[in-house]
Parts: sequence; structure tokens; C-alpha cells
Amino acid sequence: MFCSTILTPHALIHLHLLPSLQAPAPRKILRTGAVNSASGSAYAEFGNTKVIVSVFGPRESKKAMMYSDVGRLNCNVSYTTFATPVRGQGSDSKEFSSILHKALEGAIILDSFPKTTVDVFALVLESGGSDLPVVISCASLALADAGIMMYDLVASVSVLKIGLGLPFGLGYAFQSLEARQFWIPEVSSVVHGVSGEEESYQDGSLMITCMHLLVMRITQLTITGEWSTPKIHEAMELCLDACSKLGKIMRLCLKETASASQE
Amino acid sequence: MVGLSVGEKHFIQGGIAQDLRSDGRKRLTYRPISVETGIIPQANGSARVKLGATDVIASVKAELGKPSPFQPDRGKVAIYVDCSPTAAPIFEGRGGEELSAELSAALQRSLLGGKSGTGAGIDLSSLSIVEGKICWDLYIDGLVVSSDGNLLDALGAAIKAALSNTGIPKVNVAASASSDEQPEVDISDEEYLQFDTSGVPVIVTLTKVGRHYIVDATSEEESQMSSALSVSINRLGRICGLTKRGGAGLDPSVILDMTSVAKHVSEQLLNNLESEISAAEACEEES
Repeated sequence: MFCSTILTPHALIHLHLLPSLQAPAPRKILRTGAVNSASGSAYAEFGNTKVIVSVFGPRESKKAMMYSDVGRLNCNVSYTTFATPVRGQGSDSKEFSSILHKALEGAIILDSFPKTTVDVFALVLESGGSDLPVVISCASLALADAGIMMYDLVASVSVLKIGLGLPFGLGYAFQSLEARQFWIPEVSSVVHGVSGEEESYQDGSLMITCMHLLVMRITQLTITGEWSTPKIHEAMELCLDACSKLGKIMRLCLKETASASQE
Repeated sequence: MVGLSVGEKHFIQGGIAQDLRSDGRKRLTYRPISVETGIIPQANGSARVKLGATDVIASVKAELGKPSPFQPDRGKVAIYVDCSPTAAPIFEGRGGEELSAELSAALQRSLLGGKSGTGAGIDLSSLSIVEGKICWDLYIDGLVVSSDGNLLDALGAAIKAALSNTGIPKVNVAASASSDEQPEVDISDEEYLQFDTSGVPVIVTLTKVGRHYIVDATSEEESQMSSALSVSINRLGRICGLTKRGGAGLDPSVILDMTSVAKHVSEQLLNNLESEISAAEACEEES
């Protein structure tokens, strides 16, 4: 849609190993203004993962809250009951809410709205793997749409590690935007039914959220599974590169909305 | 919340910049760690770890359960942390919930490895009894008794100690006729299997204050942090999980630098902790 697909040799080698995971080029949609009643909102669709985020505020903090000379950020991630193949089995949304909060708070200029609260509500309509990075990117787009002052947009990308013993190049599936063809969903629901096979392929994951425009700043980083330092190094580079590309697409999306509203 | 005056804040920050912290430690020195094992008789394994004024308890309980259909050859492990209001008044009611959830998630990330279970500090396949039928469910519970910073590292150490203290009863499976039926098991109350904890990683949290980072921050020092990186590292020097706290962004090169420092620090911590654990176990056997 916006960007050309870049085939990296790593991913290609990997594809041969896992032909069953060769999904057709998934759709990627990023759009602002999905909800009219909200101050700002965005909709993101990356493959089968569909997410909607609305931002309300800055508005009065709840009465019980103490006075604060900086603004508050309140984040909530929830799953629809039909987001997953088994009804009501979304991932831990409490943990997601806290990661979303931590990923965004470093980017928002909280001093610009003292005494008030900005609410960020994310709803995962369909869980198709890599939910959290999509939620984070979409939320930062919604914040921008709401006109909340930020240092920069936050883009988020995750990679999965596959095969502990394999050399690095063989062991990666991409969840980044420019290489969506090679993605392996974190939740294996997308690949027909939940077979233990796909699930067992994931040996670890790394998720990065970062700001990119002026200086590179990682606002959130989580790693699971066993990694050696050079592997982390390489995976981070991969993610940062993908983040900068995603960031460009997000900017483009905002520009389009702005120019459309002027006309 | 720690109430600090401007002068105190400057004192802490200045001390860290000069590699001499308010309690006389260097930036990369841990507080003395003390371990007690076998403190909860009802649990299969337990340990109490004190790190300065931080005091945590971990208990391991094993129950028979059914493995999940996706991973029939593995047992299950659940990790929960409870922040008791005795540790700090802010933990009262729902106040501790957020911190508890954050600590539990970080511990799960550090100890349980990837979704496939590889790279996990706890070998889940050793918990299987009859594939697809019966397995051990391990419930690991952490309790924060007193909080003076660096809870995650203390909890990680306590869990490691509690696991090495854990004895899982030997199970004899009666040969059952049909494969559909739930097999009958006999739990031995004399024979126990010891848990292999050599692969369980330690967690090292580097707290960034100003331009420098410190290990084992006290709660005063934590109040001055911009961000913190918790890295769990095993014997082999491999990173088994990583969590970032604090909203401030970090440069990628700083993160890589911090992980390599964490790796260096973890070697000493691991040796220190393991000798403490074996000393505690020897002490327990004597009494």
C-alpha cells in the first residue's frame, strides 16, 4: 500500500523452512478518525490483527485524584470476546495496558495539560498475532489525531526467534511492516486452528517501541526467551530499522488526513 | 512515595555521579544478600531473601494437574507476586495491585522463556508425569514483606532459592488398562525429587539516575530514576528476558551497554547467591 516490500535473505531462507506459514501478503491499513465522538482515534489493520484506539481528553481528572502539575495518562487495552478463536481468551490485557502506558508516557509532553487526564482506550477487534505492537503504534497515531502534544510518534515492532540452535539468519520471522509476508503470528490462531507446531516454533520474542524523528529513543523494550548478546544486537537493529519505516508510514497517514480535511 | 528534599535529591544524584552512593556502595555493588530456606513447612519449597531492608518470601507449591492440550508433555508454572500492606501503606487495598501485576509479568518473562518453553529457567518437561494426562502444576508465590527498592532482583533470587529448596514427591503411576481413563497415581511421601536449578537465571536491574546507572537501588534512589532495565541472565551468560521500566526513552547503544554491564554483574551475583543458598541449606539440615 504505502511501502515496497523488501525481501531480506534471512526471511527467504526461513520461508523455505516453514512453508505452512507462508501467508499471502497481508493487508496493512492505518487510518485516523475512526470514532467521531472521541477527541482522536485511529484504526489499524496489520494482516489479521485489527485494532481500534480512541483518545479522550485532556479532560478533568476523576475527583478522587490528587492535584498534579503534570497531566495524567490513562491507558486501557481490551479484547473483544470474538477476538480469539476460543471465545474470551484474549491475552493478559492488564499487562498490555501497563506496557502501553509505559511505551507512550515517554513520548507525550505531559506538562502541556496539567491537572487533566488523557484516556487512551484500545480495543483489539481481532487478534492475529503481534497485537501489542499494533496497539501501541495505533495509539500514538490516535494521540496525534487528538492533538495531544508529543515529542514524536511512537512506532512499535516485534520479532520472534525461532530455533535456538540455528544460526541467527535462519532463525527469524518478521513481524515488521515491511516484511509482513514472513510474519508468524504470536498467537498461532491465524494459521488454521491452533496446532502445537507453530506454537512450538516460537523460542523467544523481542518487542521494541521507539521514537525516531530527532534522536532515536527506545521507550519500551521487552525480551522473552533465551538470547545471546549478538543476537539481541542484530534483532534490535532489525526492529529499529522497521520502526523507522513504520514511523514514516504513520507520518504519511497523518499528512493525508490533514490535507484531506483542508480540501 | 519517598518524600525527599531538594538537597537530598542532589546528594543522591551527586553521589551516584561520583561513584559513591549514600550508603557507601559503588555504583555496581549489591547490598549484602542473606538467604534462608525452608521457612514455610506447608510449601514444597520456600525461601526468604533479604537485600538490605528489602525483604521478600517466595514459596513453591506443587499440585497435580492436567497439562494443557497444546503442550501435553509439559507441566505448568504460575508465578504470582503479592505486595503486602505491611511493606508500605500504599499497598493497602488495591494500591499494590499494579505493582504486583508488573512484578509478576516481569518474573514470568524472565523465568518461563518463550512460548514454546525453550530457554526457560524452569524445565517444564521435568514436571510431566503421564503425557497429556497428569503433570505437576507449580505455583510460585512471592510476597513482599518489606520494600526498600529493587524488589524484582530480590524476588528473582528468592524464587531461585525456593526452587532449589523444592522437593517434588515421587509419583508412581498404576498401569491403567485403557488409554482414555485417567491413570491412578500414588504420591510417595518419603521419596522426593530435587529440582535442578542450575539453569534458573538471576535478575539484574540497572537503574538509570542522571547519566549513570546503578544496581540494587534503594527506594530513595529509585525515586530519582529516569528508567530502569531488568535483565535476567543465566549461568551461560545468555539473556533470558528483559523488561524496561520508566517512561523515559533510552538510546539503543545505552541499552546494549547496560545489558553487557548486567551480564558482568550477574556473574558475581550468581556466585554469591549460590554460595548463600548452599550455606542456607546446610544450616537448615543441621537444625
